[in-house]
Amino acid sequence: MAAPRSWGLWSFCCRGWSRVLPGCRLPGLRSSWPRGPLGARPLSQEKRATETHFGFETVSEEEKRGKVYQVFESVAKKYDMMNDMMSLGIHRIWKDLLLWKMRPFPGTQLLDVAGGTGDIAFRFLNYVQAQHQRKEKRQLRAQQNLSWEEIAKKYQNEEDSLGGSHVMVCDINKEMLKIGKQKARAQGYKAGLAWVLGDAEELPFDDDKFDVYTIAFGIRNVTHIDRALQEAHRVLKPGGRFLCLEFSQVNNPLVSRLYDVYSFQVIPVLGEVIAGDWKSYQYLVESIRQFPSQEEFKEMIEDAGFQKVTYENLTSGIVAIHSGFKL
Amino acid sequence: MPRGVCGRLASALRGTRAQPPAVAQRCVHLSVSRPSPDQSERTRKPPRAFDPALLEFLVCPLSKKPLRYEASTDELINEELGIAYPIIDGIPHMIPQAARMTRQNKKQEEMEQQ
Repeated sequence: MAAPRSWGLWSFCCRGWSRVLPGCRLPGLRSSWPRGPLGARPLSQEKRATETHFGFETVSEEEKRGKVYQVFESVAKKYDMMNDMMSLGIHRIWKDLLLWKMRPFPGTQLLDVAGGTGDIAFRFLNYVQAQHQRKEKRQLRAQQNLSWEEIAKKYQNEEDSLGGSHVMVCDINKEMLKIGKQKARAQGYKAGLAWVLGDAEELPFDDDKFDVYTIAFGIRNVTHIDRALQEAHRVLKPGGRFLCLEFSQVNNPLVSRLYDVYSFQVIPVLGEVIAGDWKSYQYLVESIRQFPSQEEFKEMIEDAGFQKVTYENLTSGIVAIHSGFKL
Repeated sequence: MPRGVCGRLASALRGTRAQPPAVAQRCVHLSVSRPSPDQSERTRKPPRAFDPALLEFLVCPLSKKPLRYEASTDELINEELGIAYPIIDGIPHMIPQAARMTRQNKKQEEMEQQ
C-alpha cells in the first residue's frame, strides 16, 4: 500500500498531475483518470476492489468513510464561514443558481442529501414561501369581494405558508446536522423541514417518494458514487429530478492555472489560519481534483438510470450542475 | 388571529396575577412528577420533538421495510430484523452503525447468515 500512496504524492509534487496516468484507483467507477490528456483509460484495474482515493492518497474503502467523517466533524463549526472565505462568497450564488434551475413549486417534496448545514434546504423553503405568497397575492387581487364565510375561514385555518412543500435534509455526519439544526432555529425555519442522519449509499427512504433529489458539494465525498446515484434513482418519484452541484473540471486553461494556484497555495493556508485545520482543506482541494469530469459524471448518472441528463458549467467549469430525470 | 387574541389574554392574565410563571411552575411540577428515565412524548415534545409524520418517509436502510416508533425509548424499530435506530436530539440516526439489536436470538441468526 505504501508504494501507490507515495507515487501519488510524487506525481503531485512533480506538478505533473495533469499528465499522470496512474493505475486506476476509482473502484466502482468506470471512469478514467480525469486529467488524462487524451481521456486515456486506466492502465490497470486490479486493485479496484478495496482501494479508493482520499484526496491524492490511496486508502481502503472502509478507511475513506471514516476519514471523510473526521474531516467534516472537524470543519463543521466553521464550515459556512470557511465556504464564504474560500469561494469569496460565490458559493451563495452557485447555490442560488441551483434553486433557480430547480424552480420548485409549492407542494414539492425535496430530499437534500449531504445537506448538513442546510444551505439548500433554507433556500428551498424561502423560494417556495415566496412563490406561495405571490400566489396568494394574486388570489387576493382577483377576489376583492370575499364573502363573510370565506373571511372567517381564513382566520380559522392555520394556512400552510409553504403550500405543502417539505424538505428532508439527510447527512451522514452528526456534527453537520447539529449545526444545520441550530441555524434553522436561529433563522426561524420550523415548518416543512426534517433532519435525518443517513448514508447516501443506503438511504433510509422508501421508493418513489421525492420530487427532487439534490446533493450539493457532497457527492465527491461518497465512497461509492454509483451506489449513491442508484439510491437517488430509487427514492425519486417517476418524473422526479436529480440535481447535483459539484466542483468539476475547468475548461479555460488560464482560469485553470489561477484556480490551481489558489486551490493548493491559498486554501489550505486559509484553513490553517482560520480553522486551524490544514489537512481537511488539503483533502478538500485534492478531492475536487479526483472527481470525474463533467462528461464522465454525466455518463455515470445515465448509468444509474436517469434520462435527459445535462450539465451546466458555472464560473468556467469550476462548478457544474448536473441534472437528470427519472422517467 | 386567534393566536394574537390568546397572546393578549395571556399577557392580561399575567398582569393581574401576582406570580407570572404559575403556569410554567405547574408544567415543571408535572414533568418532575414523572420519573426521569421515562422519556414519554409529552414531556419531551417541546424541546426535541420527533414528528411521527416522518414515519411515512423513513424505512430501514437495510431492508427498506417500514419502521415502528417506540416512544418510551425514542427509537425506530424494525421488527423483522430486530434492530432499533435511536433518535438523538430529534434526529433519527438511520445508519446500521448506530442501531442496536432488540433481540439476542435474531442477533445470533444474523451472525450465522453473514
